[in-house]
Amino acid sequence: MQHLADLMAPRAGPEAAAAIEVAHVSHVYEGRDGAVPALADVSLAVGAGRFTVIVGPSGCGKTSLLMMLAGLRRPTQGAILCAGRPIPDPDPLRVGVVFQEASLFPWLTAVENVEFPLALRHAPRDERRARTIAMLELVGLTGFGGRYPHELSGGMKQRVAIARGLVQDPPVLLMDEPFAALDEQTRMTMGHELLRIWSQTSKTVVFITHSLTEAVYLADEVLVMSARPGRIIDRIEVGLPRPRSYEMMATDLFGRLRDRIWRQLRTGN
Amino acid sequence: MRRVTLIAARLALLAIVLASWETLPRAGLVDPRMLPPFGDVLRMLVELLGRANVQAAIAVSGAEFLVAFLVAIPAGAALGILIAESEYAGEIFKPMLFYAFSVPKSIFLPMFILVFGIGFQQKVAYAAFSTVFVVIMCATAAVESVKQDHLLVARSCGATRAQIIRRVYVPSMMPVLLEALRLSMIFNFTGVLIAEMYASRTGIGQLMANWGENFQLRQLFAGVVFIATVAILLNESIRWLEGRCSIWRT
Repeated sequence: MQHLADLMAPRAGPEAAAAIEVAHVSHVYEGRDGAVPALADVSLAVGAGRFTVIVGPSGCGKTSLLMMLAGLRRPTQGAILCAGRPIPDPDPLRVGVVFQEASLFPWLTAVENVEFPLALRHAPRDERRARTIAMLELVGLTGFGGRYPHELSGGMKQRVAIARGLVQDPPVLLMDEPFAALDEQTRMTMGHELLRIWSQTSKTVVFITHSLTEAVYLADEVLVMSARPGRIIDRIEVGLPRPRSYEMMATDLFGRLRDRIWRQLRTGN
Repeated sequence: MRRVTLIAARLALLAIVLASWETLPRAGLVDPRMLPPFGDVLRMLVELLGRANVQAAIAVSGAEFLVAFLVAIPAGAALGILIAESEYAGEIFKPMLFYAFSVPKSIFLPMFILVFGIGFQQKVAYAAFSTVFVVIMCATAAVESVKQDHLLVARSCGATRAQIIRRVYVPSMMPVLLEALRLSMIFNFTGVLIAEMYASRTGIGQLMANWGENFQLRQLFAGVVFIATVAILLNESIRWLEGRCSIWRT
């Protein structure tokens, strides 16, 4: 794993022990017309506790990348380390995942959805209840635990999904366009809420989005990917102070960062 | 309040139908030999249910129905799940199944008689045959109704294969499976009755066919009322279950 150390070298500040390391990962899948290269030689490192956002055109393989970070898919080539170890299979104690809309089980209440991962490993009832109640409080849903998903708004459903991703307290949280299906206003609120939850839990977050504003608003660092086969074509350090506020969106710096991502996306195609 | 009015209106409709059935033949507006009054039919039904030969016929038909059901449901469900789970099997078998499903099953009755005779076996075989296709199709639909997103979530939460089946497949498929149960019950019931009416020595279907041929319309209508009541009760009890299991399907 010499190359991993090389990769980390320029970035390894005192605060940034890497939570996720991706070295020369390629992914090829079998489509209808033969092999399709989805990712080409992707390398990246995410420091512990950092908020990293990945943007890229549709079909650029960013979801594939996230799946591999979650252990849901294996890379064709290259190595992935998550919290210091390879992740050949899903491991909810290391990595929590929040998917796009409608990933809640409609036959379970909010509480039962959140405690689903705990139920799978037969955690004691007391522990389940305590953790679930704490998570619902964290995401601001105290009192809504008994509701079924169809009785919750889009934003509330994604809060439940976040609570489910965090319920086993994994160091890493992966999010695949979690707010894409929400209306603009709810989306802004949820972004803000996510930052609050993140600052309270100090997780390492990898977040995929199509929204440039969302990317700059949330991220410590934005990774821009090219069209398929996906490569990382730019890494943009977002120097905005924290906590972030809505007013920052009107600043010059915010605009310049967003423009830079946009230019990279256009030329990268 | 609106719900109460609705129920009242439905009961009123039923009352009107039954009252017309009672009064029209009595008033001579309908030939009472072709449509005996409802009251006479009910009295005949009570009398028939007390007769030993009718009770035996009901027992035979019920047994045929049950056995055919127990053959068709597991066989159809297993085949349907197999086809849905394997991409290749699906591509190969699905068109054929759709063709087979669209063919009226009753045209095969003479074949079943040649192979199985006209006894218990033949009724069961024919009823199971006429039911199994709808079970296969429903089982396939049930598997396909499982959302990929839910499977991914379960895997990311560390679910084992067995846990995924129990905690994702089964609850996802439950509403479609209950629907399948309901449909297959109707097909199965029809299969048993048709086979009995076509050629048999016993069973309700055979009694009905006999009553019709002998112009015993009070008995015939008593049979109609009895079979309709049983079918509606079976159907509604599963619909009630469906309603309970699918509160989330909105």
